[in-house]
Amino acid sequence: MLDSRRLIKVVGKLLGIVLMLLMAFSISDAAEKPILIGGSLPLTGQYAETGQWIERGMKFWAKEINEKGGLLGRPVEFKIYDDESNVNKAVTFAEKAITVDKVDLLFGGYPGTAARAVMPVAEKHKFVYVSMGGHMKSFEQGYSYSFGGPPLMGEWWYEGFFQWLETIPADQRPKKAAVYTMNNPIGASLMESITKWTKKLGIQIVVDEKYNLPLPDATPLIVKAKQMDCDLLFSNGVFPDGVMTVRAAKALEYNPKAIVQGIGSVLPAWSKELGPDGDYVFSGTSLHNKLNFPGNEKLNEFVKKEYQIDGYPLYFGFGYAWMQTLAQAVEGAKTLEQTKIRDWLKANKVNTIAGPMKFDTKGLPDPINFCTQVINGKAELVWPPEVRTTKPVYPKPAWK
Amino acid sequence: MNLVLTLQSLISGIMMGAVYALLGIGFSLTWGVMNVINVSHATFGLLAAFVSYSLFTALGIDPVASMFITIPALFGVALLVYRFLIDPISKAKAVIVSSMILTFGIAIIIENLILLVWGADPRLLTTSYTNKVFSIGPLYFQYPRLVGFGMAVVGVTAIQFFLKKTLTGKAVRAAWQQPEASQLCGINLKRISMITFGLAVASSGAGGVGMAMLYSFEPHSHNLWLIYLFLVVIVGGVGNILGAAFGGLLIGIITGLSMAFLPYQWVNLLTFGLLMLILIFKPQGLFQSEV
Repeated sequence: MLDSRRLIKVVGKLLGIVLMLLMAFSISDAAEKPILIGGSLPLTGQYAETGQWIERGMKFWAKEINEKGGLLGRPVEFKIYDDESNVNKAVTFAEKAITVDKVDLLFGGYPGTAARAVMPVAEKHKFVYVSMGGHMKSFEQGYSYSFGGPPLMGEWWYEGFFQWLETIPADQRPKKAAVYTMNNPIGASLMESITKWTKKLGIQIVVDEKYNLPLPDATPLIVKAKQMDCDLLFSNGVFPDGVMTVRAAKALEYNPKAIVQGIGSVLPAWSKELGPDGDYVFSGTSLHNKLNFPGNEKLNEFVKKEYQIDGYPLYFGFGYAWMQTLAQAVEGAKTLEQTKIRDWLKANKVNTIAGPMKFDTKGLPDPINFCTQVINGKAELVWPPEVRTTKPVYPKPAWK
Repeated sequence: MNLVLTLQSLISGIMMGAVYALLGIGFSLTWGVMNVINVSHATFGLLAAFVSYSLFTALGIDPVASMFITIPALFGVALLVYRFLIDPISKAKAVIVSSMILTFGIAIIIENLILLVWGADPRLLTTSYTNKVFSIGPLYFQYPRLVGFGMAVVGVTAIQFFLKKTLTGKAVRAAWQQPEASQLCGINLKRISMITFGLAVASSGAGGVGMAMLYSFEPHSHNLWLIYLFLVVIVGGVGNILGAAFGGLLIGIITGLSMAFLPYQWVNLLTFGLLMLILIFKPQGLFQSEV
């Protein structure tokens, strides 16, 4: 009888020890289990170049944070799907990351059409989604979990250019503009500031045409602009139509005072492939490798060492900055609970390589008005004055 | 009517259309002769464009001269592809569908190969004459377009000459028109098909370099080029080399003129509207198939 009592005690103690060990193991397992961050990027297809730079930026952030001990003391790990530049696949992979992979966090995708389509998915599952967004309309849908940190806003893209143009004496400003715009939501978002500012500055829009991508030929565009004596050319497109327009302008000896291009001229390939012909083209941005905010120098050093590039490419910076924003929110909220992360972002300021940002109810920071101009093969910051890396070249020198 | 704009758009459209034609003739040939819809045709052209780009940037070999390397190389690769991949499916009941699926797979493999070797960055072929022009009055003629046009004229003439004037070419035509009778006459159908496929893919090399002189290109560009191929062949007629050449020119002219007279958003609508009309009223193309 006594023996059996002792036996029960021993068994009980043993069970207790086993239970404690199990608990200890499970706690240490949870502490070391990586934080899984999932989603998709266009690693192949039309936007592969950009998608791959975003991925590199994100992975640099992960390497850096893991070396510092991780996020909330846990290492971070990515589950990155290749959406092949297909919006539908981006949506599917966002759903899959959340519901099948059970990721802890969602990362931002590209391009704006994909980000715009993923935003309602993030909202449905109550997942914080920090990305470029899909221009202003996407932030006006009442989503509360989406943040542009920093965003890529067509509506703000040329603000800096026009603010600078306003500083030019009126008699030296362009008088007539030719505006060629890709027929999609990004192109449409660029038109808002063009319409508002050309009216304000007394510039007459004499050619205003939309084209469907791909643009088959830029020659007729340039002939029209030249015939109408347009001294300001807006080429509101992407890389392929942008380079075609610049080449046609040179071939037809069309020399406006300024050429403003959408989102092709901020890619490293612009100057690499066009050479000096790509110079003096204005554009906008919401991030730049020469911004005097903490972190930019470190990123520049990394890409110099790793990819032999002077100054990190724009989308490398975006990939890094979106993760910075998300990480600060997680650290600030001290949890992976999405609603608490969201609430922290709504109430606090984040510091990123794009500068400090505080988000409004739409999930947007204050409007960003950086203007770039390609000078000697580099996209320099020319506006606003406090971040300027060099003075803009105006009027554009004639083609050599 | 704005005469300068009209003529300049027309010139530009003709030059552009000629390059589409150059890319399209080989596609038309394999479809017409072998019943093989080679979806990877444009991808082979794109591969040639990337190789020419590298030969030019690394060794300074002009893209036109580099075709003396890329065209024979593509011909050799095509013979292997035919021998080991196309030939085994040539006896399938639904050769057209099987060939489309098979060559789609080949296209994906080549695209990924390009991505691996050259990366995802967009490229431009910028030669010493890229920015050169000569003008007649107010009209400009851009050298790269003239070179592309010249290549198209030479390419179409060479293939037409081969088919009409050489023994092998006549055998290709015989195999297309009367496969059984041609075999009875001693024509080796398999060998003829292999040569046809090799020739067609090799011609895509010239077309790819021509396209690269007009447009920037990246690893996925072949998807867009494939659309032009279908346009050229459907307008010009399957298996008709001169038809394909005419189809390319017609598409170029329509594109150029519609850009001169209509809002630019209408260009694709008009081009593909034409395609629909041809499919409805002349499904065999504007020209009879007559390799």
